Amino acid sequence: MIGLLSPEKRSSLIAVSVILIGLLLFSFLTTGNLSLISTDGFGAYVGTINAGDFSITLLSGLLRGMLLFLVAAGLSIVFGLMDVLNFAQGGYFMIGAYIAYEVHHTPAIIAAIPDGNLRFLLGALLAVAIGAALGAALERGLLRPLYARPLFQLVITFGVSILLVEATKLIWGVSPRSWSTVFGLNEGSFQLFGQQFSVYRLFVIGVGFALIIAVALLLQRTRIGIIIRAGVQDSQMVEALGINVRAVFTAVFTLGCAVAALGGAVAAPFLGASLGLSTEFLLGAVAAVVLGGLGSYEGTALASLLVGITQAVVAKFGVQYLNQPVWESLSPMILLALVLLLRPSGLFGKE
Amino acid sequence: MQLTKGFSWRAVQKNWLLIAALILLIGFPFIVGALTNSDPTARRGLAVYWQGIMIELLIYGILTMSYNLLFGFTGVISFGHALFFGLAGYLLGGFQRAPELAGSGLLIGIVIALAVCAGLGLLIGTATLRLKGVYFAIFTLAIAEMVYIFLSRYEPTGSEDGFTLAALPEWFDPTRSRLTFFYIVAALFILTFILIRRLMESPTGAVLLAIRENESRARTVGFNTLAYKLLAIVLAGVLAGVAGILFTLLNKKVGPEMLGTAYTVNPLLMTIIGGAGTLLGPVIGAMGLRLLELQLRNVQIVIGESVLDIGRTLPIILGALFILVVIVFPYGIVGTFTRWRLNRQARSAERIAKQAEALKSVS
Repeated sequence: MIGLLSPEKRSSLIAVSVILIGLLLFSFLTTGNLSLISTDGFGAYVGTINAGDFSITLLSGLLRGMLLFLVAAGLSIVFGLMDVLNFAQGGYFMIGAYIAYEVHHTPAIIAAIPDGNLRFLLGALLAVAIGAALGAALERGLLRPLYARPLFQLVITFGVSILLVEATKLIWGVSPRSWSTVFGLNEGSFQLFGQQFSVYRLFVIGVGFALIIAVALLLQRTRIGIIIRAGVQDSQMVEALGINVRAVFTAVFTLGCAVAALGGAVAAPFLGASLGLSTEFLLGAVAAVVLGGLGSYEGTALASLLVGITQAVVAKFGVQYLNQPVWESLSPMILLALVLLLRPSGLFGKE
Repeated sequence: MQLTKGFSWRAVQKNWLLIAALILLIGFPFIVGALTNSDPTARRGLAVYWQGIMIELLIYGILTMSYNLLFGFTGVISFGHALFFGLAGYLLGGFQRAPELAGSGLLIGIVIALAVCAGLGLLIGTATLRLKGVYFAIFTLAIAEMVYIFLSRYEPTGSEDGFTLAALPEWFDPTRSRLTFFYIVAALFILTFILIRRLMESPTGAVLLAIRENESRARTVGFNTLAYKLLAIVLAGVLAGVAGILFTLLNKKVGPEMLGTAYTVNPLLMTIIGGAGTLLGPVIGAMGLRLLELQLRNVQIVIGESVLDIGRTLPIILGALFILVVIVFPYGIVGTFTRWRLNRQARSAERIAKQAEALKSVS
């Protein structure tokens, strides 16, 4: 697979691998033999053994990275196609989380569908449907009239993100929701180097990996994928060939919002639903997109994992040495700032 | 830069609206005092209450004018303008309440706050302004959010609650001598307006407009567009810092909400509603919208059984307004009015030309 990449991509890939291995090694070395309790967003765990801590950090990072990818994928492809950076993408993630929470915790729905797994599935599907509907509405109703004014496109997606948060605040209030019911998938756990780890997290990582591969196949093997890739290269040229890029763009935009909402839905069982998810995941995803290189799909996928793992390592390091959980939330933004300062075209981006 | 021109009656005739507004602003405390039959120099009363409102409107005006300088005149979009506003407030507060600095803390705070705003503008500008516009939007949003998260969890500055200022000198205190504070804010507001107006009338302003219209063309003509954009961001940052300092002094407290998205979204919305890229637009937008917000805050509409609490739904109404304005009213109040007037002038000129043509053919 490495051989298929162009030389500069190969060097970027090597750079990413080196950074990843470095981060993991760092987390491995700094875990020490301290007994510590971490209460970051991914639940509490008690660490005593190096290998266990190491695997937990890795899995937490992978999990966070997968969730970031679900938001970043749409962001990246949409930007590549039409130069629109959708600042509302985090809002869709947040909406997805609230919908999944609501479906799982409303008494009437619990009475109708007692099976937790089924209810979760229903919540996720509903989140996807609503995310897609809202995404299509945003693209058709608000972005289309503004193609002549790109500055205002940015302004409007920013406005929509504010509107989504305010609407959510009006419907669900300001207090965050934490997932209280347990269901089949969520119950299972397994032992890894003496550590408890929920099967559910593995499930989310699996969903993320499946989506990475599914989207890659879509881009590489289908006609629409060819149009998208060609459009990312030069959308005017594709239009000149008689292909309706706008229609493809609407589809991609809608799909991107739906996937972001799905991300929120699958994240809800351990992140809960709160207003802060919107900006947090937007900025994390933007960090991943910029780090990967605006418009580069494989860059986005790799960078999402990189940002996620960085966050997990920083969370661990922050709790252990700085006693400040704030660094975990800051790390994507610091990373983003560093990338913009040092290599604004990202790891895989063209100059 | 020269701030005043020589006196001439033509200038007075041309600017009669502004001069009338200026006289109204200077006379405001006494006009309101006479209208409400209360003493404008007292410590409380209706006149003083309205002075407070006006001070807030003027501060919003300065903030929005600074946003307009970037967004409206230069075409650079920032999603983190609250960063300058809030950070200036925090820096001022931090130095002002430091006991070691005793009496000079306020002055040191103001100088450092403005210097940091300028430096931050320069830093953010050099890092991202040579890239596509979207990077600047991302970067400002990220930095603002970063500082917001940090300050809302940083215990020495009171985390979520922020902190209150130490006692201010009597003549400067907005509660004890509000009239003086009113005139300080009014003077700074007028100065900001004149500064931006003179800037936009100068050759530098013309280059800023050229950058907004077509940056690569401006660069091709030979202007160092980066330097001009840096000037705009530094100036906008300092002016937003001035607004933040005044806001902090008015409320005598700072909190992380000063760095929140509200202080980015509001100036953006106010700029667009009033008219982006116009001189008066942001002032009208800021004052109108803020006044509306203050008036609607406690309104409840009762329809039969259901009570619609406007205060609670106000943010979502503003959000919807934001989107509506961008789609259907993009030139804002002043922009739309100017276009309408220019259209009318063009039409009447056409009519006169036609009449002249008709007369010529008759003779």
